[in-house]
Amino acid sequence: MARALALMAVLASAAAGCGKEDAAAPPGDGKMGGPITAGGKVKLAYVTNGIDPFWNVAAAGAKAGAKEFNAEVEVLMPKDLPDQKRMIEGLLARGIDGIAISPIDAKNQVGFIDEAAGQTHVITHDSDAPASKRRCFVGMDNYNAGRAAGKLVKETLPDGGKIMIFVGRLEQLNAQQRRQGVIDEVLDRPAQSADALKADPPTGELTGGKYVIVSTRTDGFDYAKAKANAEDAMVATPDLACMVGLFAYNAPMCLEAIKGAGKTGKIKVVSFDEQDATLQGIKDGAVHGTVSQQPYQYGRHSVRILAGLARKDASVLPPKGFLEIEIRVVKKDNVDAFWEELKKLRQ
Amino acid sequence: MKKTWGVLGILLFVIALTAILNPRFLGDKNLLTTLRWSSLYAIISIGAAFVIITGGVDLSIGSVVGLSGTLLALLLEKGTPVGLAIAIVLVLSAAIGFAHGLLVTKMRLQPFIVTLCGLLIYRGVARVITDDQSQGFGNSYPRLHALVEPVGILGAAIPVPFLIMAAIAIAASIFLNRTVWGRYLFALGRNEQAARYSGINTHAISIMAYVVCALLSGWGGILMALDVNSIQPAQFGNFYELYAIAAAVLGGCSLRGGEGSILGVVIGSAVMRVLYNAINILGIPNTWEFVIIGLVLLGGVVTDELVRRWAARRRAAREAEEPLLKG
Repeated sequence: MARALALMAVLASAAAGCGKEDAAAPPGDGKMGGPITAGGKVKLAYVTNGIDPFWNVAAAGAKAGAKEFNAEVEVLMPKDLPDQKRMIEGLLARGIDGIAISPIDAKNQVGFIDEAAGQTHVITHDSDAPASKRRCFVGMDNYNAGRAAGKLVKETLPDGGKIMIFVGRLEQLNAQQRRQGVIDEVLDRPAQSADALKADPPTGELTGGKYVIVSTRTDGFDYAKAKANAEDAMVATPDLACMVGLFAYNAPMCLEAIKGAGKTGKIKVVSFDEQDATLQGIKDGAVHGTVSQQPYQYGRHSVRILAGLARKDASVLPPKGFLEIEIRVVKKDNVDAFWEELKKLRQ
Repeated sequence: MKKTWGVLGILLFVIALTAILNPRFLGDKNLLTTLRWSSLYAIISIGAAFVIITGGVDLSIGSVVGLSGTLLALLLEKGTPVGLAIAIVLVLSAAIGFAHGLLVTKMRLQPFIVTLCGLLIYRGVARVITDDQSQGFGNSYPRLHALVEPVGILGAAIPVPFLIMAAIAIAASIFLNRTVWGRYLFALGRNEQAARYSGINTHAISIMAYVVCALLSGWGGILMALDVNSIQPAQFGNFYELYAIAAAVLGGCSLRGGEGSILGVVIGSAVMRVLYNAINILGIPNTWEFVIIGLVLLGGVVTDELVRRWAARRRAAREAEEPLLKG
């Protein structure tokens, strides 16, 4: 009996898979469908680009979305690019109704993302791969977020000064866009289109008006290196006035280095995201402000869109394939309320 | 000893070159941070040297660093008293080393495989017990943090990790050069069979070396975790075994075993850190790091080999001449 039921289920899902193509089906060979589980629950995956507290908040959003939109969501946090590829291959092999990916290397993962998009519904979140066949992108405009951080730099350094930028890796599109946004804003350059970004080289001073951007240091996600980079920056540039951390952990590591050098408050810090150390730094006055991306909404909306696509509802897709999640700028006046809210989301 | 002079030469060369290109390299602040980083890496490198002297290798150092830092933060968060938490981490590290030693000696497995599995297992455990969540100490435990901060001695600020490292290095040096077990360790590394046939308990000595290595990795992990103050279980300590092994080899340890000096290893670790520091101070893109460190390491090893051959040829020539002179 059980076997007969299972057979019927298989036939039913096969029939669903062979159903007529509609707007929601991704371009491909039409071998869609697959493992939509009993009760209409769709099986989705939310793949990050690394492991970070930032992603825990996004995961909380994805889980909340799972409840809201009747889905089963698996959150996967890869260590690096090969790990990410392996995880996605595993998902495709097992069968999945939709995947949200944060590409680590937007340009070179296009082929792989397209391959995945031929087998299931694929969207990108946090960092986009615009050249791929992903259905849409959920995230912020990283270039504009960079410009918002640049405004924070100008606020905290009204008389100008030397600035250094710290980041885990520069090959990620969001890192490049954020960095260029910071540079263009601080140096009072006109806005660029994020799609055809003209990026400055990582070393070599960039000067504009009162501001000098000394260089950009990368640490490959090694926290010890991130701290050493900030320490060495203070030595190489004794009159350094401001450090900008592009990834969530960079500002906390800058703070550690600044504390060790006894320069707390003297060297200003501008951050991205919302690690506890950053928020504490804002409360204490050691960090001027941070640009938060609302990762919770990344998770929730990714699941909403994928669940819709899996149910063949194309109306969930945002116009122009980009669902912009607004950034939030957190400073001393709103840090308490922001932190309270965040603590609730993390639970 | 000659090798120690060689690595000291490399260190002085890199320091001089960087100082000429940017004199700020020699400022107090920079010396303080470089001394601190060098000491932290030297602690794990001394451990690596013990195993390398036996002719073995320990690839799990970075993972033990990661696990111990993660575990310390986790235990403290759960309210474990500081002393007990440190004791648990160190006992666990020693147990890891003991297991490596047993597998290498009694089971006769290759150290490469045993510690490679260790590398995977301990990294995995660190990720599992924390569910991949970042750990940290925040602003708590000021007394514990004093372990990685500078302390004033005779008017000069000295990083505490340097004092800890110096104590470990002196103890290790005395152990290797002035005790019978140290001589056994070298004997075992040069020729295990000969050592065993001459009545040395080679198994016990080998196990001891793995325990020392894992213990120092664990202790180094604790200090590094306190220093960085934020630990990501999947990343913290990644590749540090390679830094440790490179420092040990640069400092004169032979991977064939039976050779090595602690002073050399300490200087070797300093070379690695000074190079990284120089890259930052001189504003060279960080992407050059591995290229530069790799080239310096290779240069050191090649020079060492050439000097050795030249010395051997001279010795041979002298020995060939001597009978003639006498006659």
